[in-house]
Amino acid sequence: MIEHGPLLERLLAGDFVCAVSDDNAYRHLSNEETREAIDAYLRPLNRRLASNEDASVYFLAWRQLDDTAREQLSRQLADTLNSLLPMLEWLQLVQEALGRDALAAPGDVLKPAEFSAKCEDNQSLRERLERLATDSFFGSQSDQLDAQVKQIFKRLKEHGYLMQPHSERQVFVVTGKMDYLVDVVRFIRDEENLPIDADEDTGTQEALL
Amino acid sequence: MSRSMGNGVGSGVSELESRLLKTGAERLALLGKHAERLMQAYTRDDVPLEGLSDGALRKLLAARVLWRPDEQSGVKLSPKVRDLIAEMLADETRRHVNADVAETLELIRTQVDSYREARSKGEHWRQEQQLLRLRQEVDGLNGRFADAIDSLWQRLNSDFGFVSQLNDKIRENDRAQKQIVRLLDGLALIDFDELIALVGSDGSLRKLLISQLQNRLSHHYTSLREVQRRLIELMARFRKQQARSRLMTGMAAFLREHPGFVPGNYAQRSEVPALFNRAAPLNPAAAPALDHALDTRVLAELLHELPAPRHAAQNVAVANPVQPAEESLAAARQQALKLDVERFYLAVLDQPPAEPVSALAYLQQSGLEWADEIWLFQVIAEYQGLPRSEQQAFRLQQEESKASAFNDLRLIHDVALAVAV
Repeated sequence: MIEHGPLLERLLAGDFVCAVSDDNAYRHLSNEETREAIDAYLRPLNRRLASNEDASVYFLAWRQLDDTAREQLSRQLADTLNSLLPMLEWLQLVQEALGRDALAAPGDVLKPAEFSAKCEDNQSLRERLERLATDSFFGSQSDQLDAQVKQIFKRLKEHGYLMQPHSERQVFVVTGKMDYLVDVVRFIRDEENLPIDADEDTGTQEALL
Repeated sequence: MSRSMGNGVGSGVSELESRLLKTGAERLALLGKHAERLMQAYTRDDVPLEGLSDGALRKLLAARVLWRPDEQSGVKLSPKVRDLIAEMLADETRRHVNADVAETLELIRTQVDSYREARSKGEHWRQEQQLLRLRQEVDGLNGRFADAIDSLWQRLNSDFGFVSQLNDKIRENDRAQKQIVRLLDGLALIDFDELIALVGSDGSLRKLLISQLQNRLSHHYTSLREVQRRLIELMARFRKQQARSRLMTGMAAFLREHPGFVPGNYAQRSEVPALFNRAAPLNPAAAPALDHALDTRVLAELLHELPAPRHAAQNVAVANPVQPAEESLAAARQQALKLDVERFYLAVLDQPPAEPVSALAYLQQSGLEWADEIWLFQVIAEYQGLPRSEQQAFRLQQEESKASAFNDLRLIHDVALAVAV
């Protein structure tokens, strides 16, 4: 178990572990024996290893749910819901600003400078960025574009959606927690029967009818 | 084409050949001469005719570089030239994949028959010519498969980068997969049992149509299967991306339209969904411990490495013996008094309600050694210090009297505390 010490510490601290955030640890977690060993270790701490459906990202779950745990989960759920719209709007903004044809996915590289430059040239993107940066989730106090973008990336890094491979270089990589966010959105859609379409054949219009 | 084949050939044949070569070279030169105009036509619908002489246009039409579908329409680039340019540019939007196996097989059968006939009649030159054409035909077939496979790999490796939208990529991928199916169908048309029967015992035919062809086709087959597998994988990725993109855009639009939307509290369900069961973070903390001999040495080393604190030296000779300051003694007494008064309040709570307890009587009974005045003062102060809600739980009665008939100053002799009813 000692070789998994750093991994356990990260998991216990509430981190999400994926192939981008920690390739080595993720490979260990892909091994069922390792997962079982870690689970056994976590048992007295009332925790167990959990993953999203595709097993592209691992995190810790409560083993037994008592009232305190449920209270904590309710608070956490509220936080997640509060962050949902700002996160979705940021994803759309990135997609449009960088002219990408798909949503930012784990492994994608994002450069704040490139993002700033694109938003600077386009009034509408600039305004949307401004609104987003001052949202309480991102919490920028500045009216400078660069500072706003910096703050957004900083918060995304704190929340584990991005990682910065070299602290001195302004280059970020999207982590597997993005997959988790997509799964959360999909779950809410299915659970609440929201009229949001994702399948190839049915159009949005049709679903709304 | 090899000139050495002209041995023993009649002069008519060589004249035909040289005329062919001359015309072919002239017509190929037309492509170079009009290269820019042809490339303009490649990207447009019609060939731009400004500045093109009638003579030049006639030559281009005669060479089938250009054609005119009917009198009314403009002059267009011929399909073969368009294909040629697309091949040369590896232009995947316009490149055609077409192996035309059935027709080639038909041609091969006829040519094998002609070849046999020439051999049986001993016409060596015609036999050689037929073999050459057969070889070209087989090379052509091979080349068409190789080109098609090359075009497929190009598209795959660039992630269909020649179209920018995901929807277009999905369509292009779909088209490429259909092309593979057609190519595989084409390969299936080639029946080697039939070819073996066709070539019979002829060594050169056997080498050309059986061993070489089989070798190359099986190579193409493997490549096609590999491209197909990769295209299907890529398609799955495209579709997943598309679904994700739609899901997230849809949810964003929904949340903007319904700002008050709150989903159920999944955390309070009997079965909390796996995604929402995320344990609270724990920070593993540790402190130096000295119960391991080995660690002690490490800790000692760490201790030595600590930067020395910069304290001013103290003069021990002038240090005074430790004496608790007057202030702290008074504070300790005040604290003791407060605790005793609190005990008095607790004692009152134990009494039946509305039965007042005299503060002085309690003081005497409990054998405490506080001066009466100090005791009463603290009981009143404690009452006034209580929060309003707790104050209402008690009733404090003061037993008091005037200082004298002429002085309205009131003297408190005792207080009685009772639990309010």
